[in-house]
Amino acid sequence: MSDTPANMRQAEGEVRTTAYDAARLVAAMPRLVLEARRVAISVYHGLHGRRRAGPGENFWQYRRFVDGEPASRVDWRRSARDDLLFVREREWEAAHTIWIWPDCSPSMVFTSSDKVTPKRDRALVLAFALGELLVRGGERVGIPGIMRPTASRAVINRMADTIVHFAGEAQSLPPPFHPGSRDEVVLLGDLWSPTQQVKDAIATLGANGAGGHVVQIVDQAEETFPYSGRIEFEEPEGAGSITVGRAEAWAADYIERVARHRGEIRTAAARRGWSFAIHRTNRPASELLLALHARMSASPDALPHMQAAAGPVEEAAA
Amino acid sequence: MIAGLPLAFTSPFILFALLALPVLWWLLRLVPPRPRRIAFPPTRILFEIEPKEETPARTPWWLTLLRLLLAALIIVAAAGPLWNPPPAGTRPTGPVVLIVDSGWSAAANWDERIATAEAIVGRAEADGRGVAVLATGSPPKETTLLRPGEAREALRLLKPAPHTPDRTELLLPLTRLLRTVPDASVIWLSDGVDLGDGGKFVATLNGLAAGRVTVVTGGIAGARALAAADNAAGGLSVTVLRADNSAPAQGIVRARDLRGLALGDAEFNFPAGATETEARFDLPVEIRNDIARLEIAGERSAGAVELLDKRWRRRTVGVVSGATADTSQPLLAATYYLSRALGPFADVRLAEGASPSSAVERFIDQRLPVIVLSDVGNIVDAARNRMIRWIEEGGVLVRFAGPRLAAADDSLVPVRLRRGGRVLGGSLSWEQPQKLGSFAREGPFSDLTVPDDVIVQRQVLAEPDGQLVERTWASLGDGTPLVTAAKRGRGLVVLFHVTADTGWSNLPLSGAFVDMLRRVIALAGSGATATDTTLAAERGPAPTIAPSRLLDGFGSFTAPGPTARPIPADFTGRAIADHPPGFYGPPEGLVAVNALAAVDRLAPLDLGPLQASVEPYSRGAPIDLRAGVLMGVFTLLVLDAVIVFLLAGGLAHLYRRRATAALALALALPAIGHHENLRAQELTQSQINFALQATLQTRLAYVRSGDTEVDSISQAGLEGLSVFLSQRTALEPAEPLAVDISRDELSFFPMLYWPILPTSTRPDAATLARVDAYMKQGGTILFDTRDAFTSISGRPDEISPALAKLREILSALDIPELEPVPRDHVLTKSFYLLRDFPGRYTGGTFWVETLPDAEEEQESRPARAGDGVSPILITSNDLAGAWAVGADGQPLLPLTPGEPRQREFAFRVGVNIVMYVLTGNYKADQVHIPALLERLGQ
Repeated sequence: MSDTPANMRQAEGEVRTTAYDAARLVAAMPRLVLEARRVAISVYHGLHGRRRAGPGENFWQYRRFVDGEPASRVDWRRSARDDLLFVREREWEAAHTIWIWPDCSPSMVFTSSDKVTPKRDRALVLAFALGELLVRGGERVGIPGIMRPTASRAVINRMADTIVHFAGEAQSLPPPFHPGSRDEVVLLGDLWSPTQQVKDAIATLGANGAGGHVVQIVDQAEETFPYSGRIEFEEPEGAGSITVGRAEAWAADYIERVARHRGEIRTAAARRGWSFAIHRTNRPASELLLALHARMSASPDALPHMQAAAGPVEEAAA
Repeated sequence: MIAGLPLAFTSPFILFALLALPVLWWLLRLVPPRPRRIAFPPTRILFEIEPKEETPARTPWWLTLLRLLLAALIIVAAAGPLWNPPPAGTRPTGPVVLIVDSGWSAAANWDERIATAEAIVGRAEADGRGVAVLATGSPPKETTLLRPGEAREALRLLKPAPHTPDRTELLLPLTRLLRTVPDASVIWLSDGVDLGDGGKFVATLNGLAAGRVTVVTGGIAGARALAAADNAAGGLSVTVLRADNSAPAQGIVRARDLRGLALGDAEFNFPAGATETEARFDLPVEIRNDIARLEIAGERSAGAVELLDKRWRRRTVGVVSGATADTSQPLLAATYYLSRALGPFADVRLAEGASPSSAVERFIDQRLPVIVLSDVGNIVDAARNRMIRWIEEGGVLVRFAGPRLAAADDSLVPVRLRRGGRVLGGSLSWEQPQKLGSFAREGPFSDLTVPDDVIVQRQVLAEPDGQLVERTWASLGDGTPLVTAAKRGRGLVVLFHVTADTGWSNLPLSGAFVDMLRRVIALAGSGATATDTTLAAERGPAPTIAPSRLLDGFGSFTAPGPTARPIPADFTGRAIADHPPGFYGPPEGLVAVNALAAVDRLAPLDLGPLQASVEPYSRGAPIDLRAGVLMGVFTLLVLDAVIVFLLAGGLAHLYRRRATAALALALALPAIGHHENLRAQELTQSQINFALQATLQTRLAYVRSGDTEVDSISQAGLEGLSVFLSQRTALEPAEPLAVDISRDELSFFPMLYWPILPTSTRPDAATLARVDAYMKQGGTILFDTRDAFTSISGRPDEISPALAKLREILSALDIPELEPVPRDHVLTKSFYLLRDFPGRYTGGTFWVETLPDAEEEQESRPARAGDGVSPILITSNDLAGAWAVGADGQPLLPLTPGEPRQREFAFRVGVNIVMYVLTGNYKADQVHIPALLERLGQ
């Protein structure tokens, strides 16, 4: 079956398509990296959500005492050696691993218009920028199944490198594994896999109690279904195709199904204490990054707040 | 050929494919148009939706119709449609034998005939058939099949013959040819005229190739011809002939003289169904006599031309009678007989009421060519002398005997006469009245038949003489001369030995009398002819006349060709191949030969006995419609493609594309314009001056901020630094330069000092691109926000307005990762050993490009440096402020906090920066020198 000429041709075509996709990804990568840096810098300078100094055990640095600080912070032993007052800062030891999953599967290449960024590019930019921010904040960042957690300063380069050189087939959802209970998972993808698969993935990832954030990156056309006429819709990942006689008649049902799909994912995420947000590619990346970073910077103890924080993002996205 | 339409197909059987169109209709209706394919990630969700009630998508009927039309047109094109198709012969294969009637009767429509023939050849060429061409005008001895190309060449060389060809001459080569190619189709391009050979040819052809013959006839105008011109007393008439009704009924006969000038027109009009009519010229006789050629206007053929020579010329004859009683009994007078006899071919002028002498003188004054003296005796001296001179200049004097002549003693006679005359058969005579005996063979009457009813009762006798026989043209049965003639000068004196009335003979009642007079008078006005005739008569019995101007088949005069042979002098009748129609003989004695004899009549060709298909000539050239039909197919294809495109929603797609293209264009245009500006700027004199100023000496430079105070501080600071550098180092920079970052060339400067103001505007994209390029290519920019004093020191999260502005500028540049200057950075060692980098203030951090990780390097290494020089240095300590010195060398600005050696250190910072920028990592390498020297053993 599989060695019939037609199948071989198809396989060959797929290889060629994959190679072409990979080449396109590589070509786009420097731009994505740059954009990620830019987004990360703007968010970093705008928020400074995670400081380097923080509650912890180890000495981090001495800094000058600033007027208005509680006097108890003064490190008198250090201050005694000098004319100045110093405060002893300790390293913030909240460092744990953040698993970021940018979906690079073929479905993410879809754009409804040339003017809109492909979802994959947006996912990568977000992943890189988030990685940069988190590493600056002292976290370790990894990509499930692709990159081991690292705290390297050049985390963007490393992420880009591993993604470009990743030999396996790009999957929509992360491979099933069990992150530690203090880890966090960020899923960046379109999540158009069957609802049950998405729910299973969330369940698997959150099984050990890891925190998580699910971001559905969608193109505008995927929400509004602006099609009419006779159209053959084709699933880009080979799940088949369907020919629709009058596409405009399908729009209402489609939108309703999409809402149900999202509702189920949101419920599944909420059950694990995860947040769920929708990001549209026609909105700026920094918007989501800001919200996401804010949510992650919040104390892990304040999970309910994080849940609340997810609200405005969705509204903004809508 | 399709009924009524001149349309045919080269391969008509292909049209049967049209029967398949209904199947195609069914198939086309069944297959719907292809849907648009869209890769849509959430397709899985669509799978879950209940399929909607949908009408089956079918191709619209009009699109199907369009495609069917397209298919039908392709089939029609494949069948090879021909407009105005030429006949292809009765059989679709085998060679084609082309018989072309190429006599004068084909000349009038020669182009159409040849076009039809060429079309036939072209079609034979397309079908790959051989062609044999047989032309009746030039019957070949032997003929073979030709390739179509050769046949076309042969057709091109074919010209209509001027004479009436004999079709039967073709029968022999045709028989031979058909024996070798028995499967040939015969196509006869007939002219539809039968001049006597048609019946035999048709019958024989039917025997040779019954059922295989296609006769092409009709469809074009038939031939018309002229014959039997008659210059009668009232006017010149000519008979216009046609074979059948196909020739136009109305027309004009035009008369021309020898030089081709038109002399007059005569209309003719065939009554319905008539094949013969007459055209008449009512012109003065002098003009009529100049007519040399009659032609049917607009009919180009040799048959439509009738040439006239002197035989058609009408003479004016002066008749002088010696008798006085002529008027009393006019119907019995000699003048009456003469008038009647001369009337058919000459105009007669009678001398009435005058003496013979004065009448003769009057006629000579009127320059008449012929004067007839009927029984005139002597002419008085004056008139006689004039008459002799007139004869010697070419006049013809015809005398009739009579009682007066017999009694006179006149020398103006050809022979000496015996006085008194002779009476035969009278009561005192024993001799019987004599009949006309013979005509002299050498004389002009030689071709006349001797009438046996002429009886001469009385005559004048000639004295026997040595020259008498030679001068006798006609003699009686007993040998006595009846008509004698003698040349005199260029003229001629002719004597009838009888009277011009019936008194002496009944010759004037005979038809021979008219003929004899006609011949005699024809000699007038062409003395040479008479001479020639006489000379020729001396040479031999068959004088010939060489052709001088001949007609070609179209009726135009041409020089005689090699095949034209001389005619006998007395040639009459129809022209043949050896004697084409035209004028023969010398210019003064032309003899006309015509294509048609006077008695010829055109008969329509009777094709009844021939088993043949008959087709008309086609009026136009055949047009191959394939190209047009295929273009129609192409148009329909394009239309179909456009419709399918539109049906599949391509229009919206198109709009998007167009918008994108317009956007790209809009973006590209300013870029082009900008490029042009850059080029233009390169040429300005100020730019050249600037370049010279910047490059002839090493200079420090600062970026003009737009704030005069800041710029003056920058200027003063760099001046102070330049002085300091000159004092302490080997570098002696010239006056610093101010640089307009957006306009001036940056690449001349190793380093730019760029003070950042919170109020300064962000440079535009092009300027930033220039800055980026400058930094990429090795330049270093020292950014100074000058606000370390105002910002809270040591707080990285504090952003001063100037810093924010700097960030805004840098965000558009490709900036490497930065870090505060590490302790082991080469910047701290490049000239002075420095620990920090104070300016007017001391609190600000000094940022440079991040160095590579030091881990892999030796710990002991005292200085680290990147591969190049950091393209960017950022400080907030207001270095220029610290360096600024006035004209007197004193510092301009106070320092903060104002430690004693702060200014010195600020200068040292400047020196280190300049050295770092100028020497790069050279200084970093310098630290190894002691170790190297040690290793070298010195």
